[in-house]
Parts: sequence; C-alpha cells; structure tokens
Amino acid sequence: MRIPILKLYNCLLVSIQWELDDQTALQFQEDLLHKIHETGANGVVIDLTSIDFIDSFIAKVLGDVINMSNLMGVKVVITGIQPAVAITLIELGIGLDNVLTALDLEKGLEKLQQELGE
Amino acid sequence: MSIQSCVTIINEWDIVAARQLGRNVAKELGFGIVDQARITTAISELARNIFLYAGKGQICIDKLNEGGKVGLAINATDNGPGISDIRQVMEDGFSTSGGLGAGLPGVKRLMDQFDIESSPGDGTKIKATKWLR
Amino acid sequence: MNKLIYGFIEENKLDILNEWIETTKDNADDRVLRVVSDQVFTSTSREFVDLIISNIKGTKEDYTSRLTDFAEKVVRLGWPLTFVTKGLHTFGEIVFEKMEKSELVTKDNQMEVIREFGAWMTPMNNEIVSVYSTTWEKTVSLQKIALQELSAPLIPVFEKITVMPLVGTIDTERAKQIMENLLKGVVKHRSEVVLIDITGVPVVDTMVAHHIIQAADAVRLIGAKCIICGIRPEIAQTIVSLGIDLNQLTTQNSLQKGIETALELTDRKIIVMEGAK
Repeated sequence: MRIPILKLYNCLLVSIQWELDDQTALQFQEDLLHKIHETGANGVVIDLTSIDFIDSFIAKVLGDVINMSNLMGVKVVITGIQPAVAITLIELGIGLDNVLTALDLEKGLEKLQQELGE
Repeated sequence: MSIQSCVTIINEWDIVAARQLGRNVAKELGFGIVDQARITTAISELARNIFLYAGKGQICIDKLNEGGKVGLAINATDNGPGISDIRQVMEDGFSTSGGLGAGLPGVKRLMDQFDIESSPGDGTKIKATKWLR
Repeated sequence: MNKLIYGFIEENKLDILNEWIETTKDNADDRVLRVVSDQVFTSTSREFVDLIISNIKGTKEDYTSRLTDFAEKVVRLGWPLTFVTKGLHTFGEIVFEKMEKSELVTKDNQMEVIREFGAWMTPMNNEIVSVYSTTWEKTVSLQKIALQELSAPLIPVFEKITVMPLVGTIDTERAKQIMENLLKGVVKHRSEVVLIDITGVPVVDTMVAHHIIQAADAVRLIGAKCIICGIRPEIAQTIVSLGIDLNQLTTQNSLQKGIETALELTDRKIIVMEGAK
C-alpha cells in the first residue's frame, strides 16, 4: 500500500494513517521526493496523528526524507506526533533535531506559510 | 509464573507481526499508552536487529507475574554471528548498519531491565523486561 | 487439654493481667509510653485477655473477626509491631510460668502443653503481623497515589500558554510521570508554549536536569515550545557541565520573565493602560 501525497496550492500534504512497515516507509521516501520534483512544491506537511509508535528505523527514514527535501529547497513540518511517540523517541535518543514541528495539521500549515513567507 | 507467545523473525513482515503481538499483550496486561509505545518500539528494535544481523531468530513475549508484580518480558534469541564487544554495542551512537545507532542502549532506556548474553559464533540472547507500575 | 490452659487463664485472669501489664510496661520504651496513656493501656490489655478467653467460648469465625478487630485497633493506636508481638510472647511466658508454679504442667504432659501453646499463640501472632502489614501496604499505596496527584499539575494561564510548576524532589519515576502529564496536557490544551517552573525543586542534579531537558525536547517534537523557568546559578552550572546544546533550550531565571517570553513568542505583550485610575 502506498501513502497518498496530496497537493494543496504550493504545498504537499501527507497524512500517514497506518502503521509503517519498512517497505512502505522506503517507498514513501521515494514517492515524496518524486512528487516534490514533479509539482515544484516548496513546502511539505507530514501528519503523524494516527501513528502510535516510531522506532529508530522509521525515524531514520523520516529524518532522511526531511534532509533530502531540504536539499531540494523544500521546508518540511511534522505535525501531530503523539505524546507516547515523543517520549519513546526521546528515550531512544532520537531528538529529530532541526526538524520543524507543530501540534496539528492546521498549525503545521500556518507554520509552513510563516517559514516560507520569511 | 509466565505465559509465552512467540514470533519467528525471517523477513521484514515478521517485525510488524512481532510488535503487534507485543502491543496486544501489553494492552491486555493493562500497560498505559506510553508504556505500550515503549514496549512496541523496543520489540521493533530487537526484531530488526535479528533481521539485519542474524537473518533468523525468535521474539518471545512473556507475561510475568512475580509475587503480585505484573510485567512483560521480551526475549530475543538468534543463532547469528553474535556480538564480540558487548560494551561497544551498548554505547550510544554505535552502529554498523548505518542506522541511528539508537538500537540497544535505546531499548535499555525504554525498558526496566535489560540482560544480554552473546559471544561470537554462538548467537545472541536478549531479555528486556517492563513492570506494570 | 485446651481446657487446662484456658481454664487456668480464666481463673487467674486478674493475676496474669497485672503481671503482664507490669512486665510489658517495664520493657516498653518511651516511644510506646508516649503514644499510649495508662488507661488505654490497661483497658486494651484487658480486652486482649478477654479476647484470648473468648477463643474457648465462641465459635472460630467469631474469634477470627474479633482478633482482626483487635489487631486493627492496636494498629490505630500506633503501637509498634515489635511491642505487640513481644507483648504476646510475654503473655505466653507468664501463663506458662504460672501454670508451672501451680504444678499444672508436669513432666508427663509438658510436651503436649508446649505444643498446645504453640497452636494457640501462632495464629494470633500471624494475624497481628498480617493486619499490620496490610495496613502499612494500604497507607503506602495511598501515599503513592497522593504523591502522583501532587506530581505535576498543568495550568493554562493564557490562551496558548500553559505552566507546569514542579515542587519537591524528582526521581526517575516522577520524571516519567511529569513528562507524560506535560505532553498530554500540551495536546489537550493546544498550547503553543509551555513553561516548566523548577523554582520549587530543591536539588537539581545532573539526573534531574537530564530529565527536564528530555521533557523539553519531547515538547518540541509534538510541536510546542518549552521554556524552563527558575534557573538558579547552580542549575545553570549543572546544565552547562552536562554539555547541553543551549540553542535548543529556552530558559529564564524566573516564572515572571518566562511568561513575558511566552507572550512574546505568541506575539502578545502586557501593556499598562494609559489613563487608568
């Protein structure tokens, strides 16, 4: 199953709705980069509200795709990380430093506009 | 007293199966959402280690009840190459796979107890336990 | 056989009681005498002997429930466990000695009497110890709950701004609780900025500092900002010696300044109304 990537004005919108296995995560990485290239979007919001756990592999895939997107000149905001997920990530020692975050999709889009506007 | 259920790890999908099993057991035992996430993540890390380094192994989930204390133990066993320097793999940031290097020390922080037994050629045995607060 | 002992106790009730009270009082330390008045001591002791005697007359269930009641009462009075078990032991000794003197215990039956004594004393001992430990367990678990409730309140002070004042010592268990409450609260109140005030934390060692910084990090992950307030000089030293990246961390020395910063971050400020009385 592929994760749908939606375009909204100059942004891409991704909502991950089910538990990620390794293949899906890697496929997503590839799909997102292609979509960025295709659409010329300059911002991405990835919503993780429905994700109830992230291990170091998925965190690495996410971190990588954010760095790759940055290289392509695109800002990425991660939204809706659940408290339990945040705690496990921190305890694992994964800080996802330099990643933009927001409470929910709405605030994520606001933040993205702010970042892009400046 | 303990009740055990196991998943054999051969391919990537088994990692998903192992963590789903762990999550269900954790839920059943009454662990909160945060502890469920901790346990699921720990299982995912251990299962992935088996898949990456040993190729084949087993994840077993024990329900524990010791003197009124309820807990869950993850047993990860494999007959892979083993670990030559345990101290090194327990250091933060050490990784041979190009990952984040959060694996084993991360698991140790997520769980309450962590035991590892391994020698080169003999495979690896890890037991990580979480107690219900 | 039973009748021999119980009958003897009933007959010599007063004698035994007086001697017992004397001996236990002599042995008791100040701690006991302070919590127990003479009158209460005597009346409770009398009740105890009555209880023992009721063992012969009443049914077993009746005796057990009375024993539990008595044990609970003694616990409530605050008698130390050692004092009560020792008292029980002394009671047995006195009865035995007296019986020996009255030549009720002979060479022929002494083994039997000793065994009978054991069967009589042991359940009583067990019951008292078990009531004591249940009461303690109850108290401990109640205190634990009370502590958890006290652990980490989250207070929304302005729209988008929430404060978590921390008071008291922080251990690993509590730190985890704090982190959970903090993150759940931020999501619930949809806060953009959350202030952790550590003015009331007496000791901030490297462990506590580490936990607080982890909490701040987790807050960043869920998409809010965290300001740590109440940074005293020694805490500043600890944080620097931990080698923490200060760019990731906003700190202030007082809650007041922290709130000002939080308002700034959410594009607001407090102004003095001109022309106000």
